[in-house]
Amino acid sequence: MVAAVGSALAVLAMSGCSGSSGGTPSESAAGKSFEFWSFTGINQKADVAKYKEKRPDVEVKLTEVGGATETAQALTTALAGGKVPDLVLIQGDNLPKFVQQPQNFVDLRTLGADKMKSDYLDWVISQSVAKDGSIIGIPTDVGGMAVAYRTDLFKEAGLPTDRDEVSKLWPTWDAFIETGKKYTAATGKAFIDNAGTGIFYQAVNQVSQKYYDPAGNPVYDKNPEVKAAFDLGLKAVAAKITARQASFSDAWSAGIKKGDFAVIAAPSWMLGQLKDNAPDTKGKWDLAKIPGGAGNWGGSYLAIPKRAKNPKAAWEYISSTQSPQGQLQHFTEAGSLPTTPSVYKDPKLTSVKEPFFNDAPIGTIYTDSLLGLKPFLIGPDSAVMGQEFLNAITNVEQGKGDPAKAWDAALTAIRTAIGG
Amino acid sequence: MTTISPARATITPPPAPAAPRRRLTDILAPYAYIAPFFAIFAVFGLIPLLFTFYVALFDWNPIGDHVFIGWDNFTRLFGDVRFWNAVRNTISIWFLSNVPQLAFALLLAHLLNHVRLRFAVFFRMSMLVPYITSVAATAIVFSQIFDRDYGLLNWLIGLFGFEHIDFVQSVWGSHVLIAVMVTWRWTGYTTLLYLASLQAVPRGIYEAAAVDGAGTWRQFLHITIPSLRPVIVFTIVTSTIYGLQIFTEPLLVSRTTLNTCGAVRQCQTLTLFLYEQGFGQFEFGYASAIGVALFLMVVVFAGINFYLSTRIRPGRP
Repeated sequence: MVAAVGSALAVLAMSGCSGSSGGTPSESAAGKSFEFWSFTGINQKADVAKYKEKRPDVEVKLTEVGGATETAQALTTALAGGKVPDLVLIQGDNLPKFVQQPQNFVDLRTLGADKMKSDYLDWVISQSVAKDGSIIGIPTDVGGMAVAYRTDLFKEAGLPTDRDEVSKLWPTWDAFIETGKKYTAATGKAFIDNAGTGIFYQAVNQVSQKYYDPAGNPVYDKNPEVKAAFDLGLKAVAAKITARQASFSDAWSAGIKKGDFAVIAAPSWMLGQLKDNAPDTKGKWDLAKIPGGAGNWGGSYLAIPKRAKNPKAAWEYISSTQSPQGQLQHFTEAGSLPTTPSVYKDPKLTSVKEPFFNDAPIGTIYTDSLLGLKPFLIGPDSAVMGQEFLNAITNVEQGKGDPAKAWDAALTAIRTAIGG
Repeated sequence: MTTISPARATITPPPAPAAPRRRLTDILAPYAYIAPFFAIFAVFGLIPLLFTFYVALFDWNPIGDHVFIGWDNFTRLFGDVRFWNAVRNTISIWFLSNVPQLAFALLLAHLLNHVRLRFAVFFRMSMLVPYITSVAATAIVFSQIFDRDYGLLNWLIGLFGFEHIDFVQSVWGSHVLIAVMVTWRWTGYTTLLYLASLQAVPRGIYEAAAVDGAGTWRQFLHITIPSLRPVIVFTIVTSTIYGLQIFTEPLLVSRTTLNTCGAVRQCQTLTLFLYEQGFGQFEFGYASAIGVALFLMVVVFAGINFYLSTRIRPGRP
């Protein structure tokens, strides 16, 4: 075992050298251009444009394949036998299936990822480490959590509007639901968009252990923390404070524009969506802390497929844009939260204010939610499990399902889905 | 004798070597003409189909291992509630969309064929508009009409003091919504097929019937339907094949729960289930088993339909 590790390190050291000498004339032809698949809504165009300013000699062929899931599907098809890109962005939820088959990707340790590894949040980079120790992805961003709320609607309902006072309204999810009841009683309108993503997804991302235990065994049905988060979702349904609008649907966007609900769970990547969806509501929003204080929802990774033609050009892009300084710059421009904790106290980050959200200090709000985080393992079927739990809550929310049977229905659905 | 031999001479001379060559090309020519279709069919139809049967016998991860497991995928499929749910949904949506579609198309074709219809060409051409509209555009428009909170239909219902109906979230509502989209899209197309066939029916028959005092309804029952029999059989069979493979409409109706079409899979059809397993879960073997089941279902349904619809006989509408 020790010998194996030793030889692996030796290989690493050698390939690390060849990686850094990528600019020699004989290799430069291959290193001048690479193909990059990303997904929509994450604004990789801005990153690519910035990179081109620094490296005008490099040609980046960026394709926004579709949503995160569609991009992962396209990647799967490509890996199964098609033409692969040189670089691909994979969303955290889709990552485990690829990490389980590391033979499809370049082990980034061979390009020097080991030297950078300590730059990133431990629990974030560890999600892209395969069983054999290879690193298949470098984390580009994480989804720190917060609650976006409408100050104008809060005022009408007689609730405080200052972000610190609002944060104090909901130290816990129970207090959050109580606040919702007050709001709904005062205005007759829904408080939050839905119970599934709005409450259950948030609460279940704040646990110390989610659907898998640290050894990788599924515990979705036994973990009391998951059950508690599920029950919070049902409690919000019973309190009748939800607008019953599925996140990202057309009606959800319409609801945001019309102010049909006053709060929305807003991980850092959601800010862009809100701005795009309802530009007219600028300045009416503010950001408060997430109940419970800490948590993470989402995040993405850059990976290089094994059959990539220009892995070196792709790696140069990764090492340049995903360095702590590179991620910090991306944050100030596009709002994706860095995965590199060394910049969390950087004045450039802490001073970022978001005018759309009433000048909320997004740099500190989101990084605070990450620093208190208890990391958990994301397994191969985590996404399916989450979806089935969400579906069970939604079914009750739509008045079709029996709340007393929802938990068992969800467990049955998960067992059928994962075939176990 | 002398008159016969020259005649014989004219028959026998055909140059011996040329005859078989011409005959060979004559024999081969038709095959050469149809070969492109069969070659393309083999590459894009038959080989994938056979490969699907093959993959269905494996636990097939597209980017990992392929483990032979025999009939296990099929055993699992028959015990899977999601499969039977998808079968029910598919048949329900197929029935809800096909019956009105064929009935409307028959009536429309009959009316469009009417002698005294003015601007007939305009009406006939406009039949094709829904068909050439993209399914995505159709789905977006209909989803907005049928939306629970902001939909036009529920706004109208609300004016009369009724509660809003949540079409997408209920089983029957989502089926009706999808069926309406399919009917809207295909009725015009089917109408034109019927109309084209009706144009071949001699006008005299209708005129004679009119002289005998048969109203338009009697003409419809006793002339239009019987004369359309072959094309009705054709449309029933083709729309069955299309209907059982319906994919885009349910996918677009519930865009937030992409592959399940609703919280309890209320409108998840077989192809959507196949897609979920194949490209959502990367279980290509299981997805292939669903594909095989779907293939068999289409064959059986098309067969039953063909048998039943050939029973439509003149005088027995």
